[in-house]
Amino acid sequence: MSDTHVIKLAKYKRVPGLLKLTKERFIFTPNDQKSGVKLNVEFKIVKGHKFTKEGNKQQPMLNLMQDQGGNYIFEFECFADRDACREFVAKAIALYANEQLSSTEVERRIELLQENSELQTLHKQFVSGGILTDDEFWAARKKLLDQNDSRRPKQQLALKNETWSVRQSNIVTLNLPALPPEIIHQIFAEKPAVCEAYLKFVPHKMSNKEFWNKYSRAQYLHSTRNIIAAAAEAAEDEELAVFLKRDDMLANEARRKIRRVDPTVDIEADEGDDYTHLPDHGLVRDETKDVLDSQYEPYRRSFSQDLNQHSAVVLQGRVVDVELSDARSVAQALARKKQAELSNDKTNTKLETELSNRISRSAEIEDLQGPQDPAVAPLSIKDPRDYFDSQQANALKALDDTCSATKPLISSASAQQAYDSLRNIIFDINEVGLNEPIMNQEVALKVLGGFTQSISSTKFRIGNSPNDSILDTLPKVTKEELLHHWTSVQELLKHFWSSYPLTTKYPNNKVTRLKDAMSQVYPKLQGMKESVESDFRHQVSLLVHPMVQALDAAFAHYDADVQLQRDLLRVERNAMGSVIFSGHSFC
Amino acid sequence: MKFQIEDVTVYFPYDNIYPEQYSYMLELKRALDAKGHCLLEMPTGTGKTIALLSLITSYVLAKPSNPVKLLYCTRTVHEMEKTLAELRFLHGYQVKELGPSAGILALGLSSRKNLCVNPRVVSAENRDSVDAACRKLTASWVRAVAIENPDIPKCDFFESYEKAASDAVLPPGVYTLQDLRAFGKQKGWCPYFLARRMVQFANVVVYSYQYLLDPKVAGIISKEMQRETVVVFDEAHNIDNVCIEALSVNVRTQTLDGASRNLSRMSQEIERLKATDAGRLRAEYNRLVDGLAQRGDLLSGDTWLANPALPDDILKEAVPGNIRRAEHFLSVLRRFVQYLKGRLQTESVEKEGPVTFVASINSQVGIDQKMLKFCYDRLHSLMLTLEITDTDEFLHIQTICDLATLVGTYTRGFSIIIEPFDERMPHIPDPVLQLCCHDASLAIKPVFERFQSVVITSGTLSPIDVYPRLLNFNPVVSRSFTISLTRDCICPMVLTRGSDQLPVSTKYDLRSDPGVEKNYGKLLLEMASVVPDGIVCFFVSYSYMDGIVNSWHESGILKEIMKHKLVFIETHDVVETTLALDNYRRACDSGRGAVFFSVARGKVAEGIDFDRHYGRLVIMFGIPFQYTLSRILLARLEYLRETFQIKEGDFLTFDALRQAAQCVGRVIRSKADYGMMIFADKRYSRHDKRSKLPSWILSHLRDAHMNLSTDMAVHIAREFLRKMAQPYDKSGAMGKRTLLSQEDLEKMVNGVEEMVF
Repeated sequence: MSDTHVIKLAKYKRVPGLLKLTKERFIFTPNDQKSGVKLNVEFKIVKGHKFTKEGNKQQPMLNLMQDQGGNYIFEFECFADRDACREFVAKAIALYANEQLSSTEVERRIELLQENSELQTLHKQFVSGGILTDDEFWAARKKLLDQNDSRRPKQQLALKNETWSVRQSNIVTLNLPALPPEIIHQIFAEKPAVCEAYLKFVPHKMSNKEFWNKYSRAQYLHSTRNIIAAAAEAAEDEELAVFLKRDDMLANEARRKIRRVDPTVDIEADEGDDYTHLPDHGLVRDETKDVLDSQYEPYRRSFSQDLNQHSAVVLQGRVVDVELSDARSVAQALARKKQAELSNDKTNTKLETELSNRISRSAEIEDLQGPQDPAVAPLSIKDPRDYFDSQQANALKALDDTCSATKPLISSASAQQAYDSLRNIIFDINEVGLNEPIMNQEVALKVLGGFTQSISSTKFRIGNSPNDSILDTLPKVTKEELLHHWTSVQELLKHFWSSYPLTTKYPNNKVTRLKDAMSQVYPKLQGMKESVESDFRHQVSLLVHPMVQALDAAFAHYDADVQLQRDLLRVERNAMGSVIFSGHSFC
Repeated sequence: MKFQIEDVTVYFPYDNIYPEQYSYMLELKRALDAKGHCLLEMPTGTGKTIALLSLITSYVLAKPSNPVKLLYCTRTVHEMEKTLAELRFLHGYQVKELGPSAGILALGLSSRKNLCVNPRVVSAENRDSVDAACRKLTASWVRAVAIENPDIPKCDFFESYEKAASDAVLPPGVYTLQDLRAFGKQKGWCPYFLARRMVQFANVVVYSYQYLLDPKVAGIISKEMQRETVVVFDEAHNIDNVCIEALSVNVRTQTLDGASRNLSRMSQEIERLKATDAGRLRAEYNRLVDGLAQRGDLLSGDTWLANPALPDDILKEAVPGNIRRAEHFLSVLRRFVQYLKGRLQTESVEKEGPVTFVASINSQVGIDQKMLKFCYDRLHSLMLTLEITDTDEFLHIQTICDLATLVGTYTRGFSIIIEPFDERMPHIPDPVLQLCCHDASLAIKPVFERFQSVVITSGTLSPIDVYPRLLNFNPVVSRSFTISLTRDCICPMVLTRGSDQLPVSTKYDLRSDPGVEKNYGKLLLEMASVVPDGIVCFFVSYSYMDGIVNSWHESGILKEIMKHKLVFIETHDVVETTLALDNYRRACDSGRGAVFFSVARGKVAEGIDFDRHYGRLVIMFGIPFQYTLSRILLARLEYLRETFQIKEGDFLTFDALRQAAQCVGRVIRSKADYGMMIFADKRYSRHDKRSKLPSWILSHLRDAHMNLSTDMAVHIAREFLRKMAQPYDKSGAMGKRTLLSQEDLEKMVNGVEEMVF
């Protein structure tokens, strides 16, 4: 038996033959070449495996289950053969299971690594270095990965809520000021047909200026609301007609969007239900409709339509991030965006459930319901530490006004005194009972204030204030090296401690790997200590000390655990209850 | 919570209940006990729907021996979805409390357009083309041919539904249209036919008014409902108009031309059939001799809209001999169309009753009343015989037969009005023949007769005594509830003057006054800068709205408004309006804030809620009177005066004010919600107009708020919004409980009993 493949005698569908397992696939060749039950299957499609228990008078069998149902059952000559195959299959499947990470997950991981250089070095060091597997590395960072879903989209720039209109005088003289790029963006976003026309016409058919002149002319014609004149002019000028006609792209888009509309506002659905909407049914509407020849119909466009489209675009915000210098690039970016939306739509299946959830939520009447836990929205604070620091400063300021900041609050008291005082308080409570409120507000406030102050003063003494921080006094190289060691030691320790208790083989292996890696940290730390200049050596060793201590603790635990395992074995041999001891080792 | 109402344990899915919900349930319960009809007005924002659903489902649970079915009629599909969502919430609670024995089957029913899942069929433009596209794939003769010829397309969903036969059932639960579609897709069954069949097994069916009121539809969809069914018409303030619409037909030149084309195509088909399969025509003839009652042997997919007249005796009668043969029938129709064409060529307006009309048909083209009466059924029998699947092409001739049957059936309550042109545009010839129904009770009569309990309910049924007269029925319970508010969370105002102290109105002489338009614009602008989130504006008509919005645009007011909020507007195009509404809601959700311009009597006013932040302020610009010069309206008014002794002016004011109340009444959803309503017209300050508003609005309209100018209104709005932002005690002050817990309720019930004994 080798690592790369296993070959055993087995029967498939009662046909004896040879089963060959490699890392990618399993191949069954029957002894009798004519029998035709050949198999050549990739492990990729195997979902899991089952096997018979030894000693139940059952044949040694192995069942490989396929992804889409269906399975392969092999019968072996003896259990030893079967077990060899089983282990190999388990490994092979596990390999594929890992590979079957969704592509979004992988993308997210790569993104995270790119965003965070520290993470990247760690990843490089441990995963590429073979100390941790990729999964182990990420398993400790589930939270980071999970943020993906709740991550908010980046804030978008808004569009101005202003409609652009052409002045008549400008049209007549054809002397238009150049349109500001922002307005161009807005026009393109509101009128996809204009955007498309721009890409089609400019610069092959006409210049940028000509295009906008023509567009303005069309806008002017619309504003006169003389549909017949507009149609006449459009008949002569093919390009102008594009602007004057109804925007078919918008209509298509509307048809697409209507499917995603909240059903509780869907008036369109009534049209399909209501028999009175049929022509000739019911009473003639009071509303007058201006009758128009069908040839003019495509030129009819109302101000309301434009208004709705405008507001919808403003609501959507600026969808493209490109620099708004050039009309062409804006047009292209918008066109790409549309394309992307279209393909997104087809894949979006969550929408329906989302909609129905929304309806059922809105169906409930809030104030009839019993008291509910207040909904807690997560604060979206970029860096909690920054926020905390800034809040401290505020608190400190407030504190300065009320009481002197220098007055020490903590007095020294002996253990006996403290015990007596506590006992007295308890006696008091026994006699009098608790008073309401339990805590004296003033005292609480004072303690809290003192606490806040002490934290902030600590910060100012040794925190990241540039004057005081020890780290900052060190040369940059040393500082970075130190920080790097810190993070890597932390990473190792995190994995080390999370592997305990060692119940199965797998964490055992992992711990061995980690132990080796940790033992290599010692000489590195030592080397660093020695390499720094003597001025800083003391400070560096002070900083390194806790790292060494933490590592020492880990090793001590490891040794104790190994010792315990040994004891355990011995105890087991003596047929004693092992539960108590293993319980110990877990503590 | 659960509590007792007399002998029924009511399961209510919330921890608290409003006192008016409790009394609403009590009245409803008594109506059910009395097996009679009832009329209940309760303001919006008091959880009417959930109270109604809770009581009726609990009533059924309490009396398992008498399984009452609930037919819940909504006016629109989106209301249907909302109702089903509430029902699902309630059902979830009842199952949790009672276990699976409380399980019910509830479903919404709509047309193929809204239920079809076959992508090829549902992509068709409108309802009729979807119907036709479906028939092309599922009609029995198409499927019969398809068995021999596999190239003929079939609908896989329908085929597998047919194959599953009686196994195709919906498991208990609450199904919205979307759920039905999802279920159909998952199982591969046609949701439309499945839903149609499940209607007879369902405990609760939610569908549109038309399915009961329009006899053309009611005949097929609702014929199997038993007498014990409880029928609910929700948001029924317009029910008389729906009834009238259901029995009205109009005919234009295009209709007649289309009908002629239909007729020639049908005669070609007959010729073809005579040559190939004359037996089929003979079979039809024999069937007609036996009477229409025996046409039940048609397959499920082929059922047609039944007779619009509906009286039972017509089904038992045989079709008159002279239209039994297909050719004869076609020639009758041809003569009828010709007659109508002649009538449309009139120079002046003509108005007559059905009896004169029928007499004139008989004398001129020799078609008697009985033949007219059977036209509708005879046509559909013929279309089935001819195996016509593209039914959407034949709408015109169907309209003509509709008209024929209606004039042949009813002798009163209708008039025929022929107008050669629109009154407002006399230079454009646009002849139209309108058969208009004046009597709302005709369409709803079968419903009252067939079902033992019919509940008519809405937020605005004021004055409540008008409805029994209009619909001609005797309710056992007729009550109007007021709303008990914890705090003054609605703030109605009457604005009579603009910022320049000049009166504002949409009265005809002031309507296009630029000063009024400017004052209205200023009002909206000021409000947009003060009120957060959503503002809804209602105008009296589309044309008025278009005009005023354009003038605001030109004068720059619109631009100013847009500095504060996004602007969306209702248009004739429903798709666009739907998207605008969706965007409006999104703008309110995101805090951007928006204004929605809409039309009273329009589709948005009909049933879209502007509750919570979706509507903090509603402005009603003007009084939405109907176009009083319309001949149809005049004819109806005349009929109302003669038959019910309702004065014209009274009816017009009643009608306008119920529309106005309907527009503004949708701002609040619960007592925790708040909103303002501005009636911007000087005529609202007059007592005769104002007093027609529902009492729950009037009771919150303070004397000081009845004659305001823009600046005063803005000041009040500021104050109101500030007050509403304060925390308050939800359960109400002592003595005036506005929110009851289970404990309160038990105490109250016991207290009542003590008083009784």
